[in-house]
Amino acid sequence: MMASHGAGAAAGSDAAPAEVNVVGHTNPSLYLPITSAHHSWPSSTGAATVSWNYPQDNPSQDAIYYDPQRDVSVPGSNENVASSAPHNVQPSMDTENATHFHVPHSSSLQHGYSPAEYANYYYNYPQTTNDSSVQQGGANQHSDCARIWNEQLLLSEQHMECSTTSGHTITITLCQILLVIQLGTVTQLQTPLLVTPVPVSSHPHQELHRGKVIQVLLLHLLFRLQVLESLKINIITRQSRHTSMPQNNVNLNPVQQSNNGDQQKTVFVTPETSNENKVQVPRIAPGFSMVIPKSEKKILGADLAKKPTYVSVSMLKNGTDARSLPFSLRNYATRNFNHCKDEAQRAACQSMIEEIKNKAIADGTLLTKNWDTEPLLPLLGSVATIKETSIANNSSLSVPSSTFTHRRRLKTRWEPVVEDKVMDKVEPIKGFANGNTHSNLEAKNIMSNSWDSRKALQSHQAPAIKVSQRRAKKQKMSSYSGLMQNGNASSDSDKDQDLTKYYASATALANSPEEKKRREHRSKRFEKNLNSSSKSKNSAASKDVIANVHARKAVSALLTRSCEDGTSLAVEDMDWDALTVKGTCQEIEKQYLRLTSAPDPATVRPEHVLEKALSMVETSQKNYLYKCDQLKSIRQDLTVQRIQDKLTVKVYETHARLAMQAGDLPEYNQCQSQLKRLYIEGIKGCYFEFSAYNLLCVMLHSNNKRDLLSSLASLSKEAKQNEAVKHALAVHSAVSSGNYVQFFKLYNHAPNLNSCLMDLYVERMRFEAVKCMSKSYRPTVPVGYVGEILGFLRTNSEASEDCEIWLKAHGAILSVDSSGDLQLDTKASAATLFMPEPENAVAHGDASLAVNDFLART
Amino acid sequence: MAPYLSMGEAHRRIADYLSRVADSISSSDGAALASLLAVSSAPPSTPLSDALSAFPDFPRLAADRYPHLSDLLPTLLRAIHSHSLIRFADAYSSFEKAANAFLQEFRNWETPWAMEAMHTVALEIRLLAEKADRELATSGKNPDKLQAAGSFLMKVFGALAVKGPKRIGALYVTCQLFKIYFRLGTVHLCRSVIRSIETARNFDFEDFPVKDKVTYMYYTGRLEVFNENFLVADQKLTYALMHCNPQYGANLRRILKFLVPVKLSIGVLPRITLLERYNLLEYADVVTSLKRGDLRLLRQALERHEDQFLKSGVYLVLEKLELQVYQRLVKKIHIIQRLKEPAKAHQIKLEVVVKALKWLEIDMDVDEVECIMACLIYKNLIKGYFAHKSKVLVLSKQDPFPKLNGKPV
Repeated sequence: MMASHGAGAAAGSDAAPAEVNVVGHTNPSLYLPITSAHHSWPSSTGAATVSWNYPQDNPSQDAIYYDPQRDVSVPGSNENVASSAPHNVQPSMDTENATHFHVPHSSSLQHGYSPAEYANYYYNYPQTTNDSSVQQGGANQHSDCARIWNEQLLLSEQHMECSTTSGHTITITLCQILLVIQLGTVTQLQTPLLVTPVPVSSHPHQELHRGKVIQVLLLHLLFRLQVLESLKINIITRQSRHTSMPQNNVNLNPVQQSNNGDQQKTVFVTPETSNENKVQVPRIAPGFSMVIPKSEKKILGADLAKKPTYVSVSMLKNGTDARSLPFSLRNYATRNFNHCKDEAQRAACQSMIEEIKNKAIADGTLLTKNWDTEPLLPLLGSVATIKETSIANNSSLSVPSSTFTHRRRLKTRWEPVVEDKVMDKVEPIKGFANGNTHSNLEAKNIMSNSWDSRKALQSHQAPAIKVSQRRAKKQKMSSYSGLMQNGNASSDSDKDQDLTKYYASATALANSPEEKKRREHRSKRFEKNLNSSSKSKNSAASKDVIANVHARKAVSALLTRSCEDGTSLAVEDMDWDALTVKGTCQEIEKQYLRLTSAPDPATVRPEHVLEKALSMVETSQKNYLYKCDQLKSIRQDLTVQRIQDKLTVKVYETHARLAMQAGDLPEYNQCQSQLKRLYIEGIKGCYFEFSAYNLLCVMLHSNNKRDLLSSLASLSKEAKQNEAVKHALAVHSAVSSGNYVQFFKLYNHAPNLNSCLMDLYVERMRFEAVKCMSKSYRPTVPVGYVGEILGFLRTNSEASEDCEIWLKAHGAILSVDSSGDLQLDTKASAATLFMPEPENAVAHGDASLAVNDFLART
Repeated sequence: MAPYLSMGEAHRRIADYLSRVADSISSSDGAALASLLAVSSAPPSTPLSDALSAFPDFPRLAADRYPHLSDLLPTLLRAIHSHSLIRFADAYSSFEKAANAFLQEFRNWETPWAMEAMHTVALEIRLLAEKADRELATSGKNPDKLQAAGSFLMKVFGALAVKGPKRIGALYVTCQLFKIYFRLGTVHLCRSVIRSIETARNFDFEDFPVKDKVTYMYYTGRLEVFNENFLVADQKLTYALMHCNPQYGANLRRILKFLVPVKLSIGVLPRITLLERYNLLEYADVVTSLKRGDLRLLRQALERHEDQFLKSGVYLVLEKLELQVYQRLVKKIHIIQRLKEPAKAHQIKLEVVVKALKWLEIDMDVDEVECIMACLIYKNLIKGYFAHKSKVLVLSKQDPFPKLNGKPV
């Protein structure tokens, strides 16, 4: 279906098919594995380039425009996009560019200004990955990607320069001047923006149709030369981070397409462009899951001019040559899709997006609208969750800030994620409340307020938070950074330093005088913010949440800094109780993902839900892999909430039993070691049963005599009277004396799940037994007898048949005697017996890690 | 309670101690220095400790008077002071600092004159750490001092495991490390030390002092018992036994405690008098059961001394003696049968063995006994074969019950 959409889009040159196209593009991305998205970029370069160039009216321009992309290498699915890429997409891109352009200052400034936050952002996205996707890439992976992209981007830039200069020299020079001037003004304009966020740019370059891209590129170049290299790096980093974001949102279904879009942006955004927009989008996207519908498309053509579209150079004015949708819109759709949990939601989402798109086209905002800042569409039945979340967050408001200081030991990435999410969830509510009627301007104003308080930067603004539109935020961010530039006078070199911090370790620079100064400054702001946020507590609930978020964020930033200062508290001095997460998630089912950042209360289930989850697993008919996954997520939720009681023991016991039944020793061992600890702490459970398992496991599978001795020594008299423990001890004596007859008797009459652990030893025991028999028996032993004493009876009444197969598989030589009974020829077999290689053996030693199984899990 | 001490007297005593330490260092008198560094063996009240109590400013005194030993002397005095106040954890912490300072000095001394003192430090730090850990454990804190002492001794080992005359002292430190690792139950850490002792070229095992060699062999022999390498264990423990000073009965007993089970498992039985002499009577019943083929007695003996055997780690070794007891039992049956029916002496009916075991009140069915017989043949404890159809154990006519003769089962 998606494919057909794409094809249709490609054929058409109007806006209408283009819509379809968006859907078509976004959807496939859902089904691509995240990792592949990551890695496939470089490989698919060629296709992308070709496709991009193909439809353009002005090859030179477009080629240049998209050139960087080639270097960055976008996944192959670009073809559709390219062929269908309408010219009227470009206006929208321009708008983006514009925003980007003025952002560079802001973002860079902000970096220099509060490195801590930057770091937070940096680590933000892995969290989202955890939340929704199976992939466990973690922060490292992402950061690596980011780095790689960085390099690529740099390369691509050079590329651009070359191509540009070759063709359009004259235009370039003109534009250069213009742009340079413009950019210069932009920086200064930021400040006014803060107070009156009227879109600044008057768009002087709108008239230019061709070569605008070049201009932009040149501008970048110039800018880079004039301003600072560091900025670029800074921005690019953000972008690249950014780019990876959409993937993170995806549930199992990586968004290749979204990468596309992002990638493109990244490419032409160039150094100075890094837009807040970009930074914001990823952060917000995950949170929007709970969003209430909001369709503000009121941005009309008039607004376009107001927008800070400094870079609107490359924009084409008319919509006629539009062949595809704006990339940002595509991204937006992708985000929405990623967000959907099931097919029904996806379908609903798709239709909604189409509607929105049509509307946007109808009122001409398709290209002018900043889709990146558009909230996600609501999911069916997600409203309730929002409320809960916000309530929960409110409750946490009252936590004294002192408790937060204990967090300083935690990594930078711990704190902010949660806040962001909360924030995201809140915004939609506000937006909903205020309807669609806000003008762009108003929205920006409002947003600046909310943003300020959120960032804990400017408490003086009245908390008249009504709507939070991300675009406004973006504006705010930039204006803020402009302000900061004036107020903080942080030099470029400072920024540079901050940057390096993220690449190298932060320690070296942490104590420079400028750093300290800035830190002081920041901490003051945070204090203010705390006050202001507490003031706003009394207003609307949503405001409360925001305030809370601000407070937490501020504290976290504070903590981050103090962490850098090296004045952090010792681990043992930390008040772990205050840090313990209280889950709010009501979903019974949850996929396990190893945490790489602080747990998000919204995805952690409280104890009563975990109880339900446990009983769900117990009664579930699904396979072990599913149950194991569920139990691991339950265990994780218990751990992060530091719940250690009967439920914990029960979960571990359940998991240990399932693992035993599935023969999953590593998992069993994990549970067993936890259980050991829990039993020692005096929590009641099936202590004797698990003592027996422990004994069996140590004696049969670890082969560590000292462990066995200590396990035996730790058994109480009481325990030795227990049936299961007695059985385990008997197994031990059978094994140590090589008494296979006794072993298989015990195997056939094992209490509890003792036989499951013995199962794993049966093969070895049988082999030893047959070896023993072929050496000591002469001339023959009846196969029936062998089958009987080696426990084949258990699985099949036709013991001898199974036994015969087994014996043959192990190289035994069988013969038929005069009475027609099958006999084991002991003398002949003695030389031929061998242990066959296990069929399911895999190189890494864990068959359950096989790719096929892994895919089957999902 | 310490008697009243004037400031002057206290000052004099401390100064005297300090000058003796400094003198022994300047005159390279290792023995004198060693005796001055023995902190843990001191009684609660000594002239020096009383003086330290009366003159609380002693660290400054020490630092002022001997600035070149300012890392060593103040902390050493503090350790002595804390130890006399029964504050072992504090004493350990101070002593560890002093020991580090001493090690630093020791590294700089080219001749090994201070080896005796270094050994005293190694011993003292272990003993203090054990005391400190007991104190910490009773007060509910984490007893981690012995572990810390272990890592300090590793540093000492590193300083000694060099070319030159200092290497002779390395084995002593190795033995102190063994003691720590065995106490902590982290015997796997022994491996790296053993490897460097046994493979490093700068060590010639015969060069080491005998006492250290005996201790080393004792511990490595014990490690081999855990690994069930009975032949190597026998070799090492026998070396320890032969070279151990016969005057130290307690040490001989320690060695025998592991050597006896090892010897049993390779078929060598001790005289009861030996067990009596070294008070190792817990093995007496085990030995008797082996002689008589009395499986019940073996099981009883194991049960009776189970805790003890488990703690020392020989339980699993003794448990494995069962097969030898079976062998002895079958041999006895064979001997009796040979008297009764010489013609069929080498054919032992399974039911006879079952009946014998029944007399011993061992509850085993025919299949299990058959399995045991098969195992005996499989493990070379009986020469012959088992005829399943007729349920008869057919013994070889030549040497049907081969002796282990120093080979493990």
